[in-house]
Amino acid sequence: MADSGSSVIMSGNEAIARGALEAGISFCTSYPGTPSTEITETLMKSIGQLNLYAEWSTNEKVALEAAAGASWAGVPAICPMKSLGLNVAADFLLNVNLSGTGKGGLVIVVCDDPQGHSSSNEQDSRFYSKAAMLPMLEPASAQQAMEVMHTALDISRRFEIPVVVRSTTRLSHSRGLVTIGDITKRAKAATRALPKGLYNVPQPYVKHRELLAKLMLIAAEFEKSPLNTYDYPKDMKHLVISSGICGLYAKEALALADTKDIGLLRLTTTHPLPQHLITGAISKAKRVLFVEETDPFIEDETRALAADLTRTSSPQFIGKRTGTIPAWGEMNVDIVLHALRDAALVRGPGMLQSNQTAIGKAEKLLIPRPLTFCAGCTHRNVYWALRKIRKRLSDRLVVAGDIGCYSMGVFYDEAMQTMQAMGSGIGTACGLGQLKRFGFDCRVVAVAGDSTFFHACMPALVNAKHKSADITFLILDNATTAMTGFQTHPGSTSQEEGHRKVSIRSLVEAVEPDFLAVGDATDVVSMTDLIHSTLAKQGLKVLILNSVCRLEEERHDVVPGGRAPVAINSSLCRGESCRICAAQYGCPAIGWDYEEGRPVISDELCVRCGSCIDACPHDAIIRR
Amino acid sequence: MGGQGNLVSGRVLAEAAVLAGYRPVIGETFGASRRGGTVFTHVRIGIDEVGPLIPAGAASLILGLEPMESLRAAISFASKITTIVLSTSPVQTLQSLSGQTKYPPVSDVLEAVSALCPATYPVELSGALRQTSGRLVLNSFVLGAAAALDSLPMSSSQIRESVANLMLPKDSNLAAFDNGFKDLEQRKLRGTKV
Repeated sequence: MADSGSSVIMSGNEAIARGALEAGISFCTSYPGTPSTEITETLMKSIGQLNLYAEWSTNEKVALEAAAGASWAGVPAICPMKSLGLNVAADFLLNVNLSGTGKGGLVIVVCDDPQGHSSSNEQDSRFYSKAAMLPMLEPASAQQAMEVMHTALDISRRFEIPVVVRSTTRLSHSRGLVTIGDITKRAKAATRALPKGLYNVPQPYVKHRELLAKLMLIAAEFEKSPLNTYDYPKDMKHLVISSGICGLYAKEALALADTKDIGLLRLTTTHPLPQHLITGAISKAKRVLFVEETDPFIEDETRALAADLTRTSSPQFIGKRTGTIPAWGEMNVDIVLHALRDAALVRGPGMLQSNQTAIGKAEKLLIPRPLTFCAGCTHRNVYWALRKIRKRLSDRLVVAGDIGCYSMGVFYDEAMQTMQAMGSGIGTACGLGQLKRFGFDCRVVAVAGDSTFFHACMPALVNAKHKSADITFLILDNATTAMTGFQTHPGSTSQEEGHRKVSIRSLVEAVEPDFLAVGDATDVVSMTDLIHSTLAKQGLKVLILNSVCRLEEERHDVVPGGRAPVAINSSLCRGESCRICAAQYGCPAIGWDYEEGRPVISDELCVRCGSCIDACPHDAIIRR
Repeated sequence: MGGQGNLVSGRVLAEAAVLAGYRPVIGETFGASRRGGTVFTHVRIGIDEVGPLIPAGAASLILGLEPMESLRAAISFASKITTIVLSTSPVQTLQSLSGQTKYPPVSDVLEAVSALCPATYPVELSGALRQTSGRLVLNSFVLGAAAALDSLPMSSSQIRESVANLMLPKDSNLAAFDNGFKDLEQRKLRGTKV
C-alpha cells in the first residue's frame, strides 16, 4: 500500500474504496455489477491488512440489509452496487431511510451506466435519493471520489441515515492521480445496544416528518459545502449548471469555446440541492444551460425553484427539457459545445473541424464488431441446442432469458428472446407457462445462470411449482460469476475460507419439480436430446446444465494442450455450400479461408473443446 | 479490441506521463469488452483537471492495435492535428469470419485512415517477433513506434521504463518496444508514412 501524501494513479472505483478505508469503513457487502465491481474487489484486497469484512452477497437487497445491520451495531459500512442493483435493494432502502441506520454509518455507492455500456438500461438512480429522501453526493474525479467518502460517512453517522454516493461509468472506469491519506487502524466498534425504534410502524408519517427535518439540516450544510464550486466572471451573462463528471465536460467546453461571460456552477451535493446557491446564481443569468447525466434531475428541480423567483429575475432554462441536449445517452464535451452554440450562449463552433467527406467514405468501410461468446463457451452449445429444438418444434418454442454472459443468446439468432431484470427469465415464464388455456401453443423455456439463480430466481421457481406452470427451467451452471470477473457465489466450486457451498441441486430438489435432471453442456448431442425430451413432459421441469467458463479454466491454468487439437477434414467438408460451422454455429476459433473456400480452425483461439465436431452434419470436424 | 492489452497500453502512457511530471487522466471502456467488442482507451496528458474523454477530432495521437478499430477511432477522434500509428494486422470479426460481412482490404482501410489524418504510420510486427510472440507483444511494439514520434510530451526512455514496469513478460515486451522504436526511427529518416 502506498504512503500517505503520495500520488497514485487510481480508477474512480479504486479511489472510492481508498476513501472508504481512510474514512474508517470496515464492513462491505455487495453484489458484482459493471461498473461498480472494482470497489468491493479493491476493498477485499485489504482484508489481510485491516480488520475488515467484505463479502459478495447473494443480491443487492441482502447486501444493503447486511450493511444496515452492521451500521446499527456501530460498525461503519459501505454497500456498492450498479444502477440496476438499487432497484433490487429499493424496497429495503425506502424503509431503512425512515428507520435510520444507527451510529455506525452507511454509505451506498451506486454506479450508473449512462449509454448502457454494460447494462440493459441507462437509468438515472439519482431519483432514488429523492424518493428515499436521502442525501446524495456526485463526485467529478477520482480525487473527489476519494474525498466525498469522508463527507458521506460523516453525514451518515451524524444523522443516522444512509448517504448515497453516485458515480457513473466514466468516473468509475477512468483513472487519474489521487493524493492519498492515512488509513487508521480499525477499532472493535460494535455495540450491543442497537438504536431504539428500528421499525416505522405504527406511525410511518412520524418517521417521515423526522427524516424531512434531518434533510433540512443537511440542506443547510450543503449550501456551504466546499464540494460545490461556482466560478463566474464579473459581468456574467449566462450560466452552466452541472454535476459529477459532467462538470469537467462543461469546464472543458467553456474553455474550448473561449468565452468570457459564462459562469459555471459545478454541483456535488445534488440531493438535497443547495437552493440558495442555485437561486443566487440563476438570478444573475439570462440563460441557464444544464449539463447532467442521464435525466433532467437538477434541471427539473431548478425549474421548480425558479417558480419562486420574480418574473424579471427568472432566466431562460435550456437543457434536456428544451431538447437542446439529448435526454438519452452519455454526455461529452462535444454535446456541451453544440448545446452552447445551439442555445446561442456562444457563437463559434469551438471544436476541431473534421473532414466530413473523408469521414463519410471511411464509415462505409466499417464493419461492426458485435459481442460474442468466447471460443469454447458452453453457453453457445445450449443455444445451439435450443435453435435445433426450435426447428424440430416448428418454431413453437419461447425462450425467456436472464442477465449474465448467456444474455448474449439474444445476439445468437435470437435463441434467447427476452431479457430484462435478474431473475426475469423464470418470472416471465411463470406467466407464459399458464397460457395454454388462452390458446398459447408454445413450449416455454427459461434460462438463468448460477449466480443469477441465487440472486433472484428462487421466488419465481417456488411460484412455478406452486402454480404448476408448464415450463422448463435451464440453469446454466458454470460455478462462477463470469460476466463481472469470476466473483465467487454460494454455488462456486472453490469457496473462500469460512464460506460454505450451497448446492443448486439441493435447493431445486427441495422445491420438488415434476422433473429434474443434470445435463452436460459440453456434450452438444446428449444435451440437445435431453432438452428436447424434457420439453415433451408436462409441468415444472428443471435441467441443471453443467457448464464451463473457458476464461475461468484459463485462470486456473487448464491447458488446452491436454485435449487433442481440432481440425477440418477437407475431404468431407462441403465448404461454401454448407458453412454451418462458421456462419451458424459461429465460434471465434472457426475462421474462413476464402482462397480454399473452407473453414479453418485457429490454433491460437481454439480451446479444443470439440463442441463444433457435433455441429458439423458431415463429420468434417475431427480431433487430430 | 480485445480488452486487456488496450487497457494496459493506456496505463503505460499514463505512468510515463507521471514520470514526466504530468497529471494524466485515462478513460477506459470495458465491461463487455472481454466478449469481443471494441475497446477505446482515452489518455489525456496535461496539468489541469479534465474529463476522461477526448473531444471529437482532438486526439494528438491514436495508437491502433487493429486496422478496422483504428479507422473507427480515427472517424471519431482524428483531424489534421492527429498522428496515427496503427498495426496493419487485421483481427476478423465473427461475422467476417463466417462470411456474413467482408473485412475490407487492409490497404483500403489504411487509405481511409490517412485521408482522415495525413500523419499515418502503419506498422507491422517483424518476422521474428511475429513468430515468437504473436499479438502478445503488439502493444509494446506499437508503443515503441509511438515513442519514436514527437507527438507525446514524455521521453522515449520514460515510456520504456513504464513498459518495463507494467508489461509482462518484461524481456519480450522490451524487445518489441525497441523494435517498434527502431522501425519508426528508420522510416522517419526515409520520410515514409503510408
